[in-house]
Amino acid sequence: MWSEAELRVLSSILDELIPASPDGRVPGAGAVVAAEFFRSAAQYAVDPVGAIDVVLAGVSAMTEDFSALDRPERIEILKVVETETPENFALLVRLAYMGYYSRPEIRPLFGPGAQPVHPRGYTVPDESSELIDRLTKPVRQRGRCYRT
Amino acid sequence: MQNDPVDVLVVGAGASGAAVLWSLLETRMKFLCLEQGLRISDMDFPSRDADYELARYGRFSCDPNVRGLKQDYPINSDESCITPVNWNGVGGSTINFLAHWPRMKPSDFRTATLDGVAEDWPVDYARLEPFYEMNDRNVGVSGLGGNPAYPNYALDLPPIPIGKLGQTLANGFNRMGWHWWPSDVAILSQDHEGRQKCVNAGTCDLGCAAGAKGGANFTYWPILENAGVELRTECRVREILVDKGTGLATGVLYHGPDGRVHEQRAELVIMACNGVGTPRLLLNSRSGMFPEGVANRSGMVGRNLMFHPLTGVSGVFDEPMKGHEGPMACSILSQEFYETDPDRNFVRGYGLHSGRSTTPMTFALGGYGIDDPIPWGNQHRFIMDDIYPYLAGLTVVTEDLPEGHNRVTLDPVLTDSDGIPAPKISYRLGENTKRMLEHGKERAKEVLLAAGARKLLFKDDNTVWWRAGWHQMGTCRMGHDPRNSVVDGWGRCHDVKNLFIVDGSIFVTSGAVNPTSTIQALALYVGECIKDNIYNLFE
Repeated sequence: MWSEAELRVLSSILDELIPASPDGRVPGAGAVVAAEFFRSAAQYAVDPVGAIDVVLAGVSAMTEDFSALDRPERIEILKVVETETPENFALLVRLAYMGYYSRPEIRPLFGPGAQPVHPRGYTVPDESSELIDRLTKPVRQRGRCYRT
Repeated sequence: MQNDPVDVLVVGAGASGAAVLWSLLETRMKFLCLEQGLRISDMDFPSRDADYELARYGRFSCDPNVRGLKQDYPINSDESCITPVNWNGVGGSTINFLAHWPRMKPSDFRTATLDGVAEDWPVDYARLEPFYEMNDRNVGVSGLGGNPAYPNYALDLPPIPIGKLGQTLANGFNRMGWHWWPSDVAILSQDHEGRQKCVNAGTCDLGCAAGAKGGANFTYWPILENAGVELRTECRVREILVDKGTGLATGVLYHGPDGRVHEQRAELVIMACNGVGTPRLLLNSRSGMFPEGVANRSGMVGRNLMFHPLTGVSGVFDEPMKGHEGPMACSILSQEFYETDPDRNFVRGYGLHSGRSTTPMTFALGGYGIDDPIPWGNQHRFIMDDIYPYLAGLTVVTEDLPEGHNRVTLDPVLTDSDGIPAPKISYRLGENTKRMLEHGKERAKEVLLAAGARKLLFKDDNTVWWRAGWHQMGTCRMGHDPRNSVVDGWGRCHDVKNLFIVDGSIFVTSGAVNPTSTIQALALYVGECIKDNIYNLFE
């Protein structure tokens, strides 16, 4: 479907859509989102592969080797492509976010656990009745606030 | 397929259909429920999957137009700023609802008398109160008694934790001197009657695999089926049949799983298909007796569609709010601006609902119900690292007044997979609602700043959330006058004496709270009225 060269360009594009954090704690999307995700994304969009083909064509029309460019140059090119083909580019962005944040290894970097949320869920301590009493005291003190 | 006549036929296995059946069980009549969707086991809920968030954008989307499953019917919302969302299956939209459970308030039933707008309901809070209590016991509701915004009532279970996010916002409301209270929720804070308590997964919209959420699939249906109620799934009703001689409903035509059209006869037909599905079926049931749809001599079927238009403001705080932990929509609720105040430029009011924040993918894609992704590039990195973990938000949930031009009709072209015309939504925001949204947005900003937010996030324009049509009300409203209402004060159609409606379509006004608690209380009330009148029901 996509050649090695196209996959390299797609990976570089993904790294610009979701860049790695400067300290390396959070990886860029190029290292996380597999091309396979886009190939199986027809359940989320009408023609995901076609949209990506259009974006890849737009990029290749502007440079022979996108991956070799420095970041500001890449971003400039992507902004042009985004302007020229907004719907296809928006779909690529959307699918990139979906492919990236659906990865279990990514979620803990932002708080949620890597595991499916059921059956374990999260432990949220119950507030003590003293705390709830203290918090609600001003509300109770103001008295009834409804009409009949 | 067996199509012997039954005593009571209920169309729709969601919140209201299940509740009215429960009420009628003691009559020992022969019951049948036809449901167009499927059963879904808690083992099949996507929150058990590693990539669970993806389901929100595919098979478990709240939007039937996105899901596009065989049992779903498409909805044409091209002429609406809000699109209806739902679930079609056993449990109905309680499968993916968020289980926020506030009751309507006494003034909600008397808006004409108190505020000179809309119509008073034929029933009032006091009449419904015992049914609220009955339903709360059946569903399992957690909350804190003593809320000064309501006549006092007690709940069986203590409130769910409001969490760091809720505590932070509560302090902000206290600093402003405004009302707030821990939310009533149809979610178990403790193990209860064989059901497991909430595990704080934060994915209530993806079904509750713990069974802690009070969906009709977990509460009423196990009781109903044990008692012998017949539930037929993949059975989609297309038309209600009425006898020309008697003027009574005789049953329905429905598409079975075999692809054929069947006739099911019944002594009593009860519609429970929500505020879009029910008017759709009534409008599609045309005959010489009812050329504009069954029970529609008033012309009110489909009119007065009400949602709860929503907007939101988020605050960015200094510490992580852990908003992904705990039930999605329920932490605390402020009703400071719920009642009419003559000093404001609108009548009626709104609630400020503190949901929790959501999981990273949903946030990156713009948030629940919005689907407007955050920027890509360096801005993306900044937002996800420095904004997302620190968010606490407030949703402005406004009362929607009934307006005749907001309505459900039948689309002339679009159909479901059985060829039944799809509903078409024509809806625009009223001026009163726009003023309310603006007011609510400003108050939300104030309280978030009072709570310690260092930055505020909100949309500059006046658009409301698109996928916010959870609450579909008013399209077959109750009333004493057959000229401007579809059903009487106990849910019976003025025009067809043995045809009842029990879902949100019979609401006269919308209040500004999530309606499922009231929908089920009303269904129990209608059931009680049917029992009280059982010996002269068709007179």
